Amino acid sequence: MREFSVVGKDIPRPDAWLKATGKAVYTDDIKLPGMLYGKLLRSPLPHARIVNIDVSKAQALPGVKCVITGQDIPKVKYGNWRLFPATQDEYALAIDKVRFVGDEVAAVAAIDPDIAAEALQLIEVEYEELPPVFDIESALKEGAPVIHEESPNNVSVTRKIEYGDVEEGFSKADYVREDTFTVHAVSHAYLEPCSTVAQCDLDGRITLWTSTQTPYIIQCLLASTLEMRENDVRVIKPYVGGGFGGKMELRPWEFCAAFMAKLTGRPVKFTLTREEELATGRRRHPMVIYSKVGFKKDGTLVAKDLKISLDGGGYNSMGPTATFLCGNFGAMLYRYPNYRFFGQHVYTNKPPAGAMRGFGAPQSLFATETQMNMAAEELGIDPIELRIKNAMVEGDVIPDVATISSCGFIDSLKEAARMSNWKKKRKSLAPGEGIGVGCYSFISGGVFNWFNTQYPFSAAEVRVFSDGTAHLLTMASDIGQGSDTALKQILAEELGLEMKDIRVTSADTAVTPQADLGTWGSRVTLMAGNAVIDAAKKIKEKLFGAVSARFNLNVIYDMECKGGRVYAKGRPDRGMSFGEAVAMVQKAQRGEPLVARGYYTPRGKGLVTPAFSFGAQVAHVAVDQETGKVEVKKIWTAHDCGTVINPMAAEGQLEGSIHMALGYALSEQFVMDKGKTLNTTFLDYKIPAAMDMPQSKSAIVDTYEPEGPMGAKEVGEGLVSPTAPAIAEAVYHATGYRCKDLPITPEKILKGLRDTKKRKRKRS
Amino acid sequence: MGLPKFNYVAPETVQEACQILEKLGGQAKVMAGGTDLLIKMKHGALRPKTIVGLRKIKELRKISFRKNQGLFIGAMALLEEVASHPKVKKLYPAVAYAASQTATVQIRNMGTVVGNICNAAPSADNIPSLMAFGAELIIASPNGERRILLENFFKGPGEVNLNRGELVKGVLVPPPPEGSGVSYQFISQRSKVDIAAVCVAAMVVIDKGRTRDVKIVLGAVAPTPIRALEAEGLLRGKKLADRSIQKAAEQASQEARPITDMRATSEYRRLMVAVLTKRALLEARQMALAS
Amino acid sequence: MMHKISIKVNGDLYVLSVEPWKTLNQVLREDLNLTGTKLGCGTGDCGACTVLVDGRSVTSCLTLAVEMDGKEILTVEGLAPAGEELHPIQRAFVEKGAIQCGYCTPGMELSALYLLKNNPSPSEAEIREALSGNLCRCTGYNKIVEAVQWAAKELKAEKSKSTRSK
Repeated sequence: MREFSVVGKDIPRPDAWLKATGKAVYTDDIKLPGMLYGKLLRSPLPHARIVNIDVSKAQALPGVKCVITGQDIPKVKYGNWRLFPATQDEYALAIDKVRFVGDEVAAVAAIDPDIAAEALQLIEVEYEELPPVFDIESALKEGAPVIHEESPNNVSVTRKIEYGDVEEGFSKADYVREDTFTVHAVSHAYLEPCSTVAQCDLDGRITLWTSTQTPYIIQCLLASTLEMRENDVRVIKPYVGGGFGGKMELRPWEFCAAFMAKLTGRPVKFTLTREEELATGRRRHPMVIYSKVGFKKDGTLVAKDLKISLDGGGYNSMGPTATFLCGNFGAMLYRYPNYRFFGQHVYTNKPPAGAMRGFGAPQSLFATETQMNMAAEELGIDPIELRIKNAMVEGDVIPDVATISSCGFIDSLKEAARMSNWKKKRKSLAPGEGIGVGCYSFISGGVFNWFNTQYPFSAAEVRVFSDGTAHLLTMASDIGQGSDTALKQILAEELGLEMKDIRVTSADTAVTPQADLGTWGSRVTLMAGNAVIDAAKKIKEKLFGAVSARFNLNVIYDMECKGGRVYAKGRPDRGMSFGEAVAMVQKAQRGEPLVARGYYTPRGKGLVTPAFSFGAQVAHVAVDQETGKVEVKKIWTAHDCGTVINPMAAEGQLEGSIHMALGYALSEQFVMDKGKTLNTTFLDYKIPAAMDMPQSKSAIVDTYEPEGPMGAKEVGEGLVSPTAPAIAEAVYHATGYRCKDLPITPEKILKGLRDTKKRKRKRS
Repeated sequence: MGLPKFNYVAPETVQEACQILEKLGGQAKVMAGGTDLLIKMKHGALRPKTIVGLRKIKELRKISFRKNQGLFIGAMALLEEVASHPKVKKLYPAVAYAASQTATVQIRNMGTVVGNICNAAPSADNIPSLMAFGAELIIASPNGERRILLENFFKGPGEVNLNRGELVKGVLVPPPPEGSGVSYQFISQRSKVDIAAVCVAAMVVIDKGRTRDVKIVLGAVAPTPIRALEAEGLLRGKKLADRSIQKAAEQASQEARPITDMRATSEYRRLMVAVLTKRALLEARQMALAS
Repeated sequence: MMHKISIKVNGDLYVLSVEPWKTLNQVLREDLNLTGTKLGCGTGDCGACTVLVDGRSVTSCLTLAVEMDGKEILTVEGLAPAGEELHPIQRAFVEKGAIQCGYCTPGMELSALYLLKNNPSPSEAEIREALSGNLCRCTGYNKIVEAVQWAAKELKAEKSKSTRSK
């Protein structure tokens, strides 16, 4: 195992200084001379035809500089699935119809935000109401209102996966169970509301500062919707206050800011309110999941048949990816010799669901893991034993999808059981307490090029200088997860430099090398990390050549960069400082700076991802039998993320995942009435507070991912999946109430307790 | 989210405040901490032309205790000040506790107990325990002062018995009787830092083993905080045994008139009234016996 | 109507004319360009806009600027003692991995300061309670709690050092 100097250390993030002192500039902190403030008019109706919009009164309001509607903008639809233009179903401002409460209808730019808000009240929109649908079942009914003409049955995307022979598999099963699970929508609830500032140069080029996780995607889609050339749009990502999947598409305010900046010649800023975020923002897909699994008597899995319907809301958003992925996640964790999946993405008149941390996994794995727990009980096998029996191992092949190149799943299960004292607690907890297990596997970035990029998936440029410093340029986007730090660590390790020797410039599409698909699907560490290593290797080759020539080294010598020096391995005296080596190369190149670019695009890695992470989690709960309230007392996690680049940051990702998953399991949900979201403040959209968090203990299982940079792979996104099924099983263990429809509420538990009592009475 | 436009005045005396309120009538809103008022205004639920800020009226910040009169909490006394006041903690622990469980640290540093009362949310944390103590409000007007029993103050959600020109100066809580105990219990389904889905306060006075007096106050289960009078009747004059507590709790649950909203269903609220009433009575009994 | 107010922010005196409907948050961010104080919700629920007014933590989004006349306000920009780069609380947040996206950080630090001023040796439960008016979506709070524990120790050590040297 390689010894690291910088990688694998608890290094505080360099950007934390700026954030701790309030100096880090987020998009809404930007103020440009002459800047206008934008606001969006949104549809109050879930489904309606726009008959007429009269903006004259708004335009006449003093201080208003620009009002636009769907009639004013280029008729170009957008969506992240560029490879399949039919999936691109959205205009920046509604043109013919509105499809959810909150659909953007018009935009105003004024000299101050209050005037812009006042102007919105003066826009008169005449709607012709259309019958709405709010759930999957009604949307799929014969004769249901059609939300998009292009999808007459309201199904926009379907996906099938099949391998083995499912029917034959079930015929060999001793035990088969069928269950239907439903899971609900939740909000990303990043603390920084979306914000964007656009500026138009004299030559008509656009610069957009925006709170995004995907500057390159924004650049491309903004260019196409503005009917501009890609290179005439520059997207800069300032510090971003969290994204979690909610900031990875072109959004109407980004388009409107740029479009109105062009029209007015003045910078335009939009910042959403929390109310807008919660009432109309993207959310995690609600799903109806039918799952049938078959086992042999001894617990061996023989077949799985999975059918998932996704409630997509009014537009596709990232729904096609979620449809694709939830079927892949359904096949993960265990060895299913026969597997079949059918997924369909269904339109409804609700705010669109999009990508959210886990991207189909929290839903799909809630079903898998709950069903596994149910099967374990009926088969009379310990739930962890049953999992170990069926667990994927290194070298396993998922047909047409991937080969598992590293896997610490069984070790994770064993470690979680050991840490939590599983066997003992399972038998001897106080009344009203319970423990349960849930597991996950996740991707390290996607392979399938739905964005249809013409560039490598990740790129890095490394410049080195004779003063012993380096400059890393990458389009990878740090949105708080810490990629700037991790990539800096990787480069420091490769070049034998210290963190302070490296400057990072990231996520500016005009400056950093083309391209990077952005921060989603846990792709950055692996993909951008590999690009950094590629660039560093090219730099090192040059340095090694210069040092080798200087000391007249035998060509068989291995060389290294370490401790700020470049030298022959085993002969540290044959070498020089990093800066001197750079100077030598530069001299040899007659002044040309030493710069290298590195790239990474996953190839030959199947359809889904180059590498999978795995893990197991145990939750201990106490349930108040009178009120039904659940207290999660402790969570133990053992996970496999390959080489850990920064353990402190990885632990932060884990704890953040537990937070988000705790909300998903217990406290977060949207209360909707006829398509309208009612809980639009953090008072009633309840993310856990510091007091709600359980104790957490974790262990990292040692694995090495051959495809990853220095053996690293995904951490911190997959971890959002195991918690809900673990808590659900713990609640079942404590009360006898089995949750098949998230979230787990006190009311459902009390009803479950009453039913359990009734059942017991009947039995006795 | 911006605030709508309004005028702001900050009188320096109660008298001046009342005169302004008399002049402006319904167009003015009194602001103590503003933590409820400003949110309602941001959501467009209220659009007063003028806000009358009480910050400059020094006497309203007062919290005082006199043996024969009891506790006075001025209209501008912060939730945090009430929660941490040594006399309140010692003699009216349920009042201090309710204040300490209201919203968050920051809101408790801005909001006031009297503001919480006057906002008249059915779920207000600070009303049930004060009602259980038999608190009165002292209301000033240009013509003098009047007192009203807290339980007669509420007309409906956000609606109170105040006439034009009147200002609530503070709340007066009688000295706790010998052998009494008051408990405040609440539940929210979702988080430990959450608005109450149901709250209950119970007061018992135990004299020679019998319940000389009892009050059960239910919050968030009717348009205003209410007394569960029939449940109280089951206990008054009787021994406060576990069985009768259970019966009274079930009776209180029948007296509740809960609705379903985004915080809980009516069924759950009704069930919780019984649970919390039982817990409140048990704790109040324990306190009474220990006093 | 405009109201004239004079406020001291991080020790600096400002005399301003404000409209009554402007919040302290708006005045800090827009008029004084002190953008370290964030706005996460506007309804006092998330705590990202927390500042200290005369030593008490408040949410600046629900504080009217007009009521701040004569007050002393401390924002994240004024947290570090004169001549120092970081306050021990800030250093603890940086070192202990308590910062991810950083949007909750300024408010969180001021809530921590308010706690430690009133309770220099808080228990873990007291820290969690004191921070419950500050939402964080990234960290799961545990590292923030650790940072506050660490800062408490540092501050006590500093205090005992300075008393000894007196």
